[in-house]
Amino acid sequence: MSTAGRGAGWRQAFRLARRELRAGLGGFYVFIACVALGVMVITAVGALTDALRAGFARQGEAILGGDATFARMHARASETERAWLALQGRISESGSMRAIARRVDGTEQALVELKGVDRAYPLAGTLRLTAGASLDMAVHDGAVAAADPALLERLRVKPGDHLEIGELDVEVRAAVLAEPDAIADRLTYGPRVLVSLDTLSRTGLVKPGALVRWRYAVKLPGRAGERPAALASLREAAGMALPESGFTITDRRDPSPQVSKTLERLRQFLTLIGLTALLTGGVGVANAVSTFLDKRRKVIATMRSLGATNRMVFAVFFAQVMTLAAIGVGAGLSLGLAIPPLVSSAYGDALPIEAELSVSVGSLVTAAAYGFLVAVLFALWPLGRAERFSAAALFRDEVAEVQGRPRQALLVVMAALAAALAAAAVLMSESHAVALAFCGGLVLVFLVFAGLGSGVTMAARRMKRPRRPELALAIGNIGAPDGLTRSVILSLGTGLTLLATVALAHAALVEELTSRMPAESPNYFVLDVPKSDFEPLSSLILREAPAAKLHGAPMLRGRLLRLGDKSVEDIKAPPEAQWVLTGDRGLTYSETVPEGSRLVKGEWWPKDYAGEPLVSFESELAQKLGVGIGSSVTVNVLGRNVTARIANLREVKWESLALNFVMVFSPNTLANAPHNVLATITLPKETTLAAEIELARTLGRAYPAVTAIRVKDAIETFNAIFSKVMTAVRIAGGVTLLAGALVLAGALATAQRRRVLEAVILKTLGATRRRIIGAHLAEYALLALATAGIAVVLGSIAAWVAVERIMEIEFSYSWRAVLEALGLAFALVMAFGGIGTWLVLKARPVPTLRSE
Amino acid sequence: MSEPIIDLASVRLTLASRAGPVGILQGVDLTVEKGQSVAIVGPSGSGKTSLLMVLAGLERASSGGVCVAGHEYAAMSEDELAVMRGARIGIVFQSFHLVPTMTALENVALPLEFAGHRGAFDVARERLAEVGLEARAEHYPAQLSGGEQQRVAIARALAPDPSIVLADEPTGNLDGRTGRHVADLLFDLHRRRGVTLVLVTHDERLAGECGRIIRMADGRIVSDFKAVAA
Repeated sequence: MSTAGRGAGWRQAFRLARRELRAGLGGFYVFIACVALGVMVITAVGALTDALRAGFARQGEAILGGDATFARMHARASETERAWLALQGRISESGSMRAIARRVDGTEQALVELKGVDRAYPLAGTLRLTAGASLDMAVHDGAVAAADPALLERLRVKPGDHLEIGELDVEVRAAVLAEPDAIADRLTYGPRVLVSLDTLSRTGLVKPGALVRWRYAVKLPGRAGERPAALASLREAAGMALPESGFTITDRRDPSPQVSKTLERLRQFLTLIGLTALLTGGVGVANAVSTFLDKRRKVIATMRSLGATNRMVFAVFFAQVMTLAAIGVGAGLSLGLAIPPLVSSAYGDALPIEAELSVSVGSLVTAAAYGFLVAVLFALWPLGRAERFSAAALFRDEVAEVQGRPRQALLVVMAALAAALAAAAVLMSESHAVALAFCGGLVLVFLVFAGLGSGVTMAARRMKRPRRPELALAIGNIGAPDGLTRSVILSLGTGLTLLATVALAHAALVEELTSRMPAESPNYFVLDVPKSDFEPLSSLILREAPAAKLHGAPMLRGRLLRLGDKSVEDIKAPPEAQWVLTGDRGLTYSETVPEGSRLVKGEWWPKDYAGEPLVSFESELAQKLGVGIGSSVTVNVLGRNVTARIANLREVKWESLALNFVMVFSPNTLANAPHNVLATITLPKETTLAAEIELARTLGRAYPAVTAIRVKDAIETFNAIFSKVMTAVRIAGGVTLLAGALVLAGALATAQRRRVLEAVILKTLGATRRRIIGAHLAEYALLALATAGIAVVLGSIAAWVAVERIMEIEFSYSWRAVLEALGLAFALVMAFGGIGTWLVLKARPVPTLRSE
Repeated sequence: MSEPIIDLASVRLTLASRAGPVGILQGVDLTVEKGQSVAIVGPSGSGKTSLLMVLAGLERASSGGVCVAGHEYAAMSEDELAVMRGARIGIVFQSFHLVPTMTALENVALPLEFAGHRGAFDVARERLAEVGLEARAEHYPAQLSGGEQQRVAIARALAPDPSIVLADEPTGNLDGRTGRHVADLLFDLHRRRGVTLVLVTHDERLAGECGRIIRMADGRIVSDFKAVAA
């Protein structure tokens, strides 16, 4: 056929398709819903990320508190550095650190994020305080502070009351309602206490070596900050003028690279889950097209007898499928776009920033492309088979299923579409290996359930007939040629497997984080213990709790600049090793191999070593970052670049919660830098909570500048954040199950006519309603059992792979998660099946018997 | 005169439709004695099949009394009717209505199983032999011809040894020769077992073989003819 002829052919096909669709969309609602649901998830995830990103971009200046920030640990900017910064524009200085705030009566205390600000703060955005309070009055009027309302509530303190922070008594003047640059500091772990820089220094907490993060916000003159080129040249100039400063520079284009990265990863992961929902819905698409073509057999036969070619028949129905897919994609896009405003209005407070309601063309195109690809992929098989029907067979063959496969070319197209889907999923993900494993797992799950569907159908056909008629009917229905078995097992099974995987992985991670803490895990981390105070502090603790174990390690924070011959910016690290390269790392030095570590390669330095600076690197991370013994490592500590050679590699048991460091230096490298000690306190198992807290209070009274963090509290804080993320994952996973339920509903609707007729016949033969319900329940229960059983097995394997192999965390099995998944499968099948059965029992027998 | 097995008094059946209520049966009085063979004839839409469905208890009369085999239908629940039907009434449809997922033997055994009969399959095998299909016992409906399917349906209707067989156009979907064979089978079983046979048909020749011919029009019985030999 020439191109023109082909075009005319398609035009004719669309014309005929339009006429065919005059019958309306009845029977296609499941098709449309299946496509719409998956597209909705992908659109919503994309639109939500876009909204947050747009919020980031537009509010970058406010989030950062300026056009750019220069931040580093420990060391305040030197006069030279400050002078250089002041030349660039207006600057504002702030210092933040973890500290303990206590009630003056000493009864209660809490870990807080203390932040000292100058009078220029904030350069951008607005700090909102409780009514009537100004920044001057609440922060700069002597030893006063503004604090997070949650802290005031926890410590039962109101404006006008006093708190002890470090060595200083501070009056609380107001509550902080909104802090513009809160997330730019970092994802904070405690409630905010805002003071002046002067108050911060009077607390006595800011000593050499203390873990203070100094941040300098810069506002460029005029509107220069709005020009990306100006921001880029500022960074470049800083690199030239302050090469050894060790500042982490961030500008308003991406005010929190860490948050952006987390968002991007979450988007990729949720998109994969959305794709699973779409693929599960694909089964519904295939069923709907099959049923539709079955009903249209006479029309197809008539078209063929009137001279339509195979290709024309294919084109007419393909055009209809595309039209329906377009309706589904349109509905999915609209629904998906409606979700961000809903999330924003319902959970706006929980989001890190105010979401801008905008969406990128890329997100819409991605969602639509996935929708069309899946719809076409799943419709091609039944369409291809319809094309091969012979006109005579169509008129004759009313009862038996038409067997046969689509022509070779279509099979190739289907394979290409599947490959395109997988390629898109893999290429759009940061971790190709994880996305590939996901796609591979999905294909495997589909194959297993397709096989299981056929297997169960065959087994039911061959099974010896049970004595009880209800069971016999159930088994008969399971083995019926147009029964529910295949589609229900395939669609529901895929959805359930995903849900079981998510539930099991979540349960295993929570278990790991909460109950399975190592037996020797410490109760407290103690920050900022001055070197000179470590001995007396140890004595105090041992006097108060003689059975306590105390470990201390020198603690500095520094930024990694170069690894081997590469600058960290040029290192392409796998995602799981990326964290080492970004932000500040804890650094230490030691004369001996630290506890919780094992030397795996190289030699440890001798006692009193005084030669070239050496460092010990964690072996697995070294391998991932492409360094080994002999490679050089450059870190910036306290504004000074320090280069050391890797002398040996250690294996670290991270989960031991002991004092673990990626890099341990030879003492001669860092011992002269001012630093504090990080300590852990491990109490005997039988220690009561009250005794644990009392020890912390005693410590606080004796050493006000020391910050003790209860390990269990820190883990709970992390758990709360983790649970929010898992909720999003569970919702997306739940949508997959909903897609499975839709397919089930579609399959039930298709089989409904046959089931009504069957029930009516049974009634005429003397079957009571109880028997009919019994037969249906037995059928649904058997289907749910087969599906859920295998889904749990596959979900367990997938969760094990994800937790133990990918995350490298010990896997623990949760029967509760399994029972929840099983319960959900039963509930869904029974609910949808129950509606079907109710309709069957409600049907009047006479019209049914007559219409046949 | 032997005792009546069917007794209808002023039976009316009114169904709702979009155009308003439609009177399907408009006061039918009918008494059928045990062992009789009755043909119900009449044009399409005259209410023949509806009358048969009311007799089967598959359609409830809007008013009037229906008493079949000593059971007053008005006082019975849907399930009681189903149980009664399983034990006392056999029904043969024009479209056979076999359960497609069951073999011929299983289809015949089904009403006996519902009734809790212990030797359901032995009886079913006997009934299949009576209709000449013992060799097709393990075949599914789709593997049988139309005539064979209808013979299975007759075997199934007779399986619980009912006192009444209701047949709705039993030969309507079959060719002349097969139809004749099925009809012979029905009348033969009626004679040998003494069951009451109520037959709805368009076929005047088939009706002529019955002992009594009831003619219907517009939901009413317009003539009731009893053959002398019946």
